[in-house]
Amino acid sequence: MKNTLIKTEQLTKRFGTTPVVKGLNLEVNGGEIYGFLGPNGSGKTTTIRMLTGLLEPSSGQAFICGYDVGKEASRAKALMAYVPDQPKLYGKLTAREFLSFISNLYRMPQETSGERAGYLLHMFGLEERADDLLETYSHGMRQKVVLAAALIHQPRVILLDEPTVGLDPHSARLLKDVLQEMARQGAAVFLSTHILEIAERMCHRVGILKEGQLIAQGSPEELRRKIGHKEESLEDIFLELTGSPENTELIRSLEEGESQ
Amino acid sequence: MSFELPPPLAQEPPPRSSWEDFKLLSANQLRVTWNKIRHWPPVAWIMLILFGIGLLSVLIGLGFLAFGALKTMPPQMARGFLSMLFMVGTAGLLFFGITAAFAALYMSDDLELLFMAPVSVTAVFAVKSLVVAGGNFFTAVVFIFLPGVFYGLLFSASPLFYLWTIPVGLGLWTVGTALAELLNLLVMRIVPPHRSREAVGVLGGVAGIVIALLFQIPNLISSGGGHPDIGSWLAGRQQLLQVMDFFPWGWGSLALAGGASGNFLAALGWSILLLLLGAALFALAFFLVKRSFQRGWISLTQGEGGRGRKKPRAKLSPAPHTTQPERVLLPAVEEKNAATATSSWPGMWSVAKKDLLYLRRDTREWFGYLTPLIIMAFFVGQFLFLSGDATRTTMVTVIIIYSIMFSGNMALQSFGREGESEWILNSVPLAGWPVVWGKLIAAVLPSIILMEALLAGTALAVGLPQNIILGSALGAVFITLGASAIGLYYSVNNCRYNPDSPQQRISPGASLLMYLINMLFIALMAFSLLYIFPPAELTAILQELPPLSFRWKFPDFLLFILYTLSRPLLWPPLPRILTGLAVTIGIWASVFFSFMAATVRQTRKGFRVEIVAAAKKKPLRSGFRKK
Repeated sequence: MKNTLIKTEQLTKRFGTTPVVKGLNLEVNGGEIYGFLGPNGSGKTTTIRMLTGLLEPSSGQAFICGYDVGKEASRAKALMAYVPDQPKLYGKLTAREFLSFISNLYRMPQETSGERAGYLLHMFGLEERADDLLETYSHGMRQKVVLAAALIHQPRVILLDEPTVGLDPHSARLLKDVLQEMARQGAAVFLSTHILEIAERMCHRVGILKEGQLIAQGSPEELRRKIGHKEESLEDIFLELTGSPENTELIRSLEEGESQ
Repeated sequence: MSFELPPPLAQEPPPRSSWEDFKLLSANQLRVTWNKIRHWPPVAWIMLILFGIGLLSVLIGLGFLAFGALKTMPPQMARGFLSMLFMVGTAGLLFFGITAAFAALYMSDDLELLFMAPVSVTAVFAVKSLVVAGGNFFTAVVFIFLPGVFYGLLFSASPLFYLWTIPVGLGLWTVGTALAELLNLLVMRIVPPHRSREAVGVLGGVAGIVIALLFQIPNLISSGGGHPDIGSWLAGRQQLLQVMDFFPWGWGSLALAGGASGNFLAALGWSILLLLLGAALFALAFFLVKRSFQRGWISLTQGEGGRGRKKPRAKLSPAPHTTQPERVLLPAVEEKNAATATSSWPGMWSVAKKDLLYLRRDTREWFGYLTPLIIMAFFVGQFLFLSGDATRTTMVTVIIIYSIMFSGNMALQSFGREGESEWILNSVPLAGWPVVWGKLIAAVLPSIILMEALLAGTALAVGLPQNIILGSALGAVFITLGASAIGLYYSVNNCRYNPDSPQQRISPGASLLMYLINMLFIALMAFSLLYIFPPAELTAILQELPPLSFRWKFPDFLLFILYTLSRPLLWPPLPRILTGLAVTIGIWASVFFSFMAATVRQTRKGFRVEIVAAAKKKPLRSGFRKK
């Protein structure tokens, strides 16, 4: 049975008169890793911010675990986690204090939060620096703290905006394993990335956004089949779809294919 | 790599009330503040204590002054004075509140995190408002609560009176803070997120100037340099004091006056009115701030890592089909052609243009210009309102000091401006004169324009003759060039950069040394100018001096040099002026070109911008542990 955990209906965002996201319809199921791709300024971050409730849509709706993000924000937020591209943390808190604060925000029982914080700090190799102020951490270490904070409350939906930026290969591999494990356990993983190799290797399905519109969606294999070049990598497909205007016909054919 | 992750939540955790959220967020805010205080370096504590002592002395001094003056005043005038103090307090709350609200709402790193969490948005903004109000606590105590208490002491009010200071103080505190939050909405809308650090710098700079002006209040109140007389000053402003009653600060003073005279109903009525206004304004500010963030009217991304506000883009027309060039790599440039194509002029101008663009676009760069301008305006204002010899002398001194310090200081910032991008100027084939001339142009152009404007404005205000104005204008150009050359030399050798505080671009020791050398430069120039404009008093004394003969003895030797140097002052005008011109040009040229040459030599060797970090990062020692 289909277990849709992330859903948008005609989601639109305009800044002034400029539309940034135009009538987006998305569905991500439990157990699925969904890659959200698009060139710079295509509306990826704005979409994620609407999904997380950080930004109010101009029109349309977003649902997380069946809860309307606009109307039942607190219930939706309790079940999801967000990893932003720029890890902004409290510089004057230690990693342990920060994780304790986050677990309190997500209403976790006191007895389990300390234990889980310790385990996550150990898992991300931050144990020895756990009692140092976060302002002394490097970008990569901060990113790990944000990831630990995102995992601490066992979210059913996790949204990640460029999560591999600043991570070393070991941490990137750990992240990949963690996300795959989460998907295996039934969580929905929504991942925005520029690194198409990551999307190709990790994601069950990808969506390509261009100028605020979803121009293609499916597994990398399906996209290859639709385009008709079986040997091409996701990077080639992406460049072909988002590149020059001569691909308008191709995009139209893909959209028609989806609606059928 | 193996690990254990608990399965995702099947259903959301039990709900929590907004009050519980508020308590949690407040506790976290207190922890953050406590950690911040715990990690303050000892220097910060010393500076804080010194500043506190200074401020307390001024406040005690002003307090005694006001209290002494009020004793002799009729009650009506004392109440008017209280209204004025409350007005100043509300203005202070407004100003410092804007800064606090900007920092708490627009520059905070946690809003995104808190909006994402399942906590009530109302609780989030309630804590933020509490932070803003907390930032205004000191202003409220000094300008609202304390004057209220002293008003009671002045009229020997009953102990019950002091209870009225609480609603009045709270009311004005809330009104000021709420107005600050409302005005801050506009500031946040106007300032794009990526320039928020600059904006808070501007607000801080203006706050510094306001505090500096505060110290000048006794000077302004004292008419003609005598003892400050608040009574006579207030007596001439009766109408203004009456108008105060139409504003919240007037209501506050009316409530306290009612309380002091035992009129319970009046005290209660005015207090309630004030509290109601505070509550209404606060509710409005709270609602608008919340909605503005939710609607995206105020951008949530903050700091330097944030994005700029998107400008509406023009609809892109389909790009013409371009064919791929056959050769992707650029053809190799022949060494001979490269050498002939390289000219120093475009390079020099590029360096200058880059610095000028920085000056224009980074608001923090304006401080160097804004601060002396505002202080200068203060002195000009003082001269115009309290015209007298003392202020005239002060202003002329200030002009001279600025000529040296201001121009030199601008140049002092030049190489530190490169910051972490120092490698660019060090790696391009421009080292030497092109870089230094470029830096000089960028440092000198704005300084000259401002100096000329200052000079012309001040000269007109003082009423100097035209020929002196023109001479001073020409002199300002040369002084600026000389002072800037000295500044550049100290900049190239002592530049530093702090990513957390980009204004720190020079070591303090080098800065002081530069000022000293600049003073010496001005002294030398002043001596040489004496030949061109000999003061009558000096020539009269020189004519009276008996002839001196040379002797190898310390004071006699020095006196003989001074005596010899003073002889041209007694020459006929033509040779004297020609000598004066030659000496002036000689001194100026030797100072200017030797400092420029020394700077050029250093840039040829390669300059280094020392990176200063506020918090040292420890390396990560632990790796991943496999289970």
